[in-house]
Amino acid sequence: MAQFDALFKPLKINNLTIRNRVVSTAHAEVYATEGGMTTERYVKYYEEKAKGGCGLCICGGSSVVSIDSPQGWWKSVNLSTDRIIPHFQNLADAVHKHGGKIMIQITHMGRRSRWDGDNWTTLLSPSGIREPVHRATCKTIEVEEITRIIDDFAKAAGRAKAGGLDGVELSCVHQHLIDQFWSPRVNKRTDEWGGSFENRMRFGMEVLKAVREEVGPDFVVGMRITGDEFHADGLNHEDMKAIAAYYNETGLVDFFSVVGSGCDTHNTLANVIPNMSYPPEPFLHLAAGIKEVVSVPVMHAQNIKDPNQAQRILESGYVDFVGMTRAHIADPHLIAKIKLGQTDQIRQCVGANYCIDRQYQGLDVLCIQNAATSRESTMPHIIEKTTGVIRNVVIIGGGPAGMESARVCAERGHNVTLIEKNSELGGQITIAAKAPQRDQIAGITRWYALELARLEVDIKFNTEADEAMIRGLNPDVVILATGAKPFISQNPEWGADDGLVVSSWDVLNGEVAPGKNVLVYDTICEFSGLSVADFLAQTGAKVEIVTDDIKPGAAVGGTTFPTYYRSLYEQEVIMTSDLMLEKVYREDSNLIAVLENEYTGQKEERVVDQIVIENGTRPDEVLYYQLKSDSKNKGQIDIEALYDAKPQPALSDNEGGYLLYRIGDCVAQRNTHAAIYDALRLCKDF
Amino acid sequence: MADYLSQIIFWLGITLITLGVIGAMRRIRLWRQGQSSTVHWKGLLQIPKRYLVDLHHVVARDKYISNTHVATAGGFVLTSVLVIIVYLFGIKGAVLNWLMLFSSALMLVGAVFVFKRRINPPANLSKGKWSRLPYSLLIYSTTFLLLALPATGLLPDYTGSYLMIALLSVGVFWGFSEMYFGITWGGPMKHAFAGALHLGLHRRQERFGGGRSTGLKALDLDKDSLGVEKPEDFKWNQLLSFDACVECGRCEKACPAFAAGQPLNPKKLIQDMVVGMAGGDTAKFAGSPYPGVTGTYKGGAIIPIVDTLVPANTIWSCTTCRACVEECPMMIEHVDAIVDMRRHQTLEKGNTPGKSAELLENLKTTDNPNGYAPDSRMDWAADQNLKVFGEDTQQADVLLWMGDAAFDLRNQRTLRATVALLRAASVDFAVIGNQECDVGDAARRLGDEATFQRLTKDNIATLSKYQFKHIVTTDPHVFHSLKNEYPDFGGHYSVYHHTQFLAELVQQSKLKLNSTSLGDVTYHDPCYLGRYNGEFDAPRYLLESMGISVKEMERSQRRSRCCGGGGGAPITDIPGEQRIPDMRIADAKEINAGTVAVACPQCNAMFEGVVAPRPDIKDVAELMLDATVFEEAH
Repeated sequence: MAQFDALFKPLKINNLTIRNRVVSTAHAEVYATEGGMTTERYVKYYEEKAKGGCGLCICGGSSVVSIDSPQGWWKSVNLSTDRIIPHFQNLADAVHKHGGKIMIQITHMGRRSRWDGDNWTTLLSPSGIREPVHRATCKTIEVEEITRIIDDFAKAAGRAKAGGLDGVELSCVHQHLIDQFWSPRVNKRTDEWGGSFENRMRFGMEVLKAVREEVGPDFVVGMRITGDEFHADGLNHEDMKAIAAYYNETGLVDFFSVVGSGCDTHNTLANVIPNMSYPPEPFLHLAAGIKEVVSVPVMHAQNIKDPNQAQRILESGYVDFVGMTRAHIADPHLIAKIKLGQTDQIRQCVGANYCIDRQYQGLDVLCIQNAATSRESTMPHIIEKTTGVIRNVVIIGGGPAGMESARVCAERGHNVTLIEKNSELGGQITIAAKAPQRDQIAGITRWYALELARLEVDIKFNTEADEAMIRGLNPDVVILATGAKPFISQNPEWGADDGLVVSSWDVLNGEVAPGKNVLVYDTICEFSGLSVADFLAQTGAKVEIVTDDIKPGAAVGGTTFPTYYRSLYEQEVIMTSDLMLEKVYREDSNLIAVLENEYTGQKEERVVDQIVIENGTRPDEVLYYQLKSDSKNKGQIDIEALYDAKPQPALSDNEGGYLLYRIGDCVAQRNTHAAIYDALRLCKDF
Repeated sequence: MADYLSQIIFWLGITLITLGVIGAMRRIRLWRQGQSSTVHWKGLLQIPKRYLVDLHHVVARDKYISNTHVATAGGFVLTSVLVIIVYLFGIKGAVLNWLMLFSSALMLVGAVFVFKRRINPPANLSKGKWSRLPYSLLIYSTTFLLLALPATGLLPDYTGSYLMIALLSVGVFWGFSEMYFGITWGGPMKHAFAGALHLGLHRRQERFGGGRSTGLKALDLDKDSLGVEKPEDFKWNQLLSFDACVECGRCEKACPAFAAGQPLNPKKLIQDMVVGMAGGDTAKFAGSPYPGVTGTYKGGAIIPIVDTLVPANTIWSCTTCRACVEECPMMIEHVDAIVDMRRHQTLEKGNTPGKSAELLENLKTTDNPNGYAPDSRMDWAADQNLKVFGEDTQQADVLLWMGDAAFDLRNQRTLRATVALLRAASVDFAVIGNQECDVGDAARRLGDEATFQRLTKDNIATLSKYQFKHIVTTDPHVFHSLKNEYPDFGGHYSVYHHTQFLAELVQQSKLKLNSTSLGDVTYHDPCYLGRYNGEFDAPRYLLESMGISVKEMERSQRRSRCCGGGGGAPITDIPGEQRIPDMRIADAKEINAGTVAVACPQCNAMFEGVVAPRPDIKDVAELMLDATVFEEAH
């Protein structure tokens, strides 16, 4: 049997043939704007997946059916008005043109939203119980409202059908209104809409019947449900099997999509989009349990990223469709590459959850490693060869900015030399991957290493570039991506020059042995501080992580800080906020850290044997200033052209001399995505 | 004095010709051990023409030997006629003497070149008795030249020179023995006798006069014993054909399996058939062995061939590429012989090697060689909205035969490209969807004629339900079967290989192609499109229409080297020293090709299996898809 035959076995949902078993499941894209109308960006994002071979896209996570389910926070699609219909037609055409199918998730979010914006809605819930993740207070829904919302669902489904979409998925997951009625954790009603199983099921049933009535028997209507809420007072797996069987019995449901875990707490939310600390397909068993009791296809997403893994799941028969949603965000051409026998060229999702963590902040969904995703209008997923001059491009630094520059320039057909002072690619990714639970981030580097080898980029490892060497390579373009150094000398009182403190890099790189009793002082509150604390704790050290910010890891996204917290609490790491490190001094063999409360000025001290500072980085600018004055463009990036995704004007000058650009952290500290995006948009027109 | 000599020549002539005739009777009896087959008496009249045109056409690919052969054989035939007239019938005359002088001189010139070639003979030439032949030719021609010289008065009579008479007598004896006696008693000249008859009585008369006959002959499945087990199971004219072999080894030079060090040498195979037919052992064979096979094998007309006379792996090494048949100046049909023997092994013994038993089992149970669910043939097209005969339509201009490519991710790309191109040209086409069965090419060539015939009948029954003008397929094996082998079972269709059909569309401006900048592109001729069906131009025309100037590999067109994928060879998987596809890709690398354009799913699969770095492998249709100017459909 062929390696991926199970993946490429078409299957019908209702009467709709899906060309393969791979689905991009519903997620909030955060780019349907202007009152929830899908945009060109939105359409292109899905068209790219269809072009790349994805079987079915279910778009519009949490797309609303009613005006009292606010859409503005996550800019989801608004199906409460007929204005959406022509937008859907564009979307459907774009996907159908490439043989894909597209459905939309529709929902009323009930209490799971925010009321403080848009229409200043009063949120609704079966029993008016507050939702913790969004700090959402709400009213108890009245029967008149129930009836109206049932009707809204039906109309919304009708609009999806009128717009040429292939189906709708009712969101009964993530604690939206339908499953708020289901869950005894939230539904405390004693009327016909609460209490007994049938009563709790009633709202969903009425919605289902109304939707089916509206769209007729042939239009696909599915349900996305949880497999287990993981709350003692919530719905467990057996409850969910009963619920799935109950709805399946009606014959009105065409598919079930199953998500492991509830998500109305920070900790359960992290399960829903498992980050890199989770094993592969951690909740597949829940979906398989649902499949046992239903007669229609079952789909399941959650940490399915690899084609072999997908094949294994499908051929074992656990589910009928695999959701490879983040996998498609990282590489919308995943299926095409499998078909081309280029599985080595798939940019695999590493579970950094940059996408979803942005979404939960109301920011557009972007990929940490693929800067073209959701920028299809301006950024290419497939880099075409240049038809212009072939340039000698010399890149210094093999971190994210350097690797992406090298890839893009090599794809363009230029002669690329990459100089890296270490013995491997990756830059700061390599350091980040040293932390417990974070090793998979090195997958970003792994892909680049394979791609640069395929593209025959000349990589000079263990080579410290200097001015003479660079000039000797006779470059047309020099790209400096030399990165940065830990900035532990910002406050001279920390005693970095005297060796009193070390950086998080020193610890993670193994250049400094972990202490026994360590204070981690983290001003950045991103991954690095929690990572080094976790790393130290794993060595058996007593660790306290102190920040002057509002909490350790404050800037780490909602699906990732919980997994750090699980680990840190378990290892009894003390997390302390609101203290700044004023001074460090040595006393006998100990180090004394003097901390000052941000708000009271009150001082306190810690006696430790090691102090690790995570205070971000300072750019490495030496080479830049050596090369700047002789460069044709004086090292300047034309930011107007850059932001417009246009070629740098200086490229048109092909006379002698070199152009100089610097990108990534050697300009200023930002993040992996920023480095890769700058590299892509700068180099794509070389 | 001269009279003595004439007497000697007369009696030697009578004796050796008589012995020769006896030998001929014996030889014919050997051939008649074979099975009955149509006797094409009229063909006998065509022998001179076939020799001078068809055979010479092949021989002339090697100018040296064709000129040499014209001089030697022409000189010999003329000299011999004159010998009979002058010495046996005693008719004298100055003209005859001068003619004799000319003909023997001509033969001598030829013989000198034969001799020269034998000084350092290439490995493909057999040694042994063949090393004797130049001497015999020199002696024969010199003898009669020396006899003609005094007869024409150019030299004084040899009267009185006993030594000369003795020498000439020995020369006549030697010459007559080789040329008149040896010709029917297994000497090297046997090729002239058997070869001439073989040209006349050839089993595939269609091959002469520029015709083509490449489809395998159908096997009557009702017979008691199927296929060839022992030499006498061959048709009598196949046995005759084996005797025509001149052991030139052109087949050996062309055979991909031989080059790959697999245990097959077509020349030796034919010689082994001769041993089998006549009885004896293989010890006297003086050419290249089957690679990796040592020792002497024995055979006889009623002794089973496989593993007694010929190792089993020999017959399973063949890719059925027909390179040997194409090269054979005697127009011997090696592939027929191999398939005949495979038929017995498969149908009677169940002795198919490697995974081929599994393949045949798959064909029996699922109608496709890899055992995919029969209803999954259309899976690849789930997003193509193809019209399906019987579901969406009963008629269409073109029936697109999908073949086994439908199950293969790689070759689905070729199908998709073809679909897109047909659509771009607004061709009305449909597929037969899951009703399609494998055409049976691999089954047939693996000897499973029963499965082939079953699949053939099923397919013909399906095709008879629908109306279409042409069948188009991307698979040359399908193309060949439908076009050349289905007619024997009542399936007569207008069949196109996709490159042929697409070439017509381009010629008619129904498809517009842009120039592509692909770098160096070479084209690999698939055996079943090229040698089997003579189509060399359509794919090249398409490539040129895209602005590609095809860089030809050393072996191309009718001399194209097989990819190794035919005849079930990839699954019988007989070990050798190297892999055939590796050798072929080496040919492409030799000319620095960046892309190898192919026109066959087997070639595609074989070449993509070659480890990188290697050129890209693209079907012509895939290359066209990139170059096609699509007008936005509304």
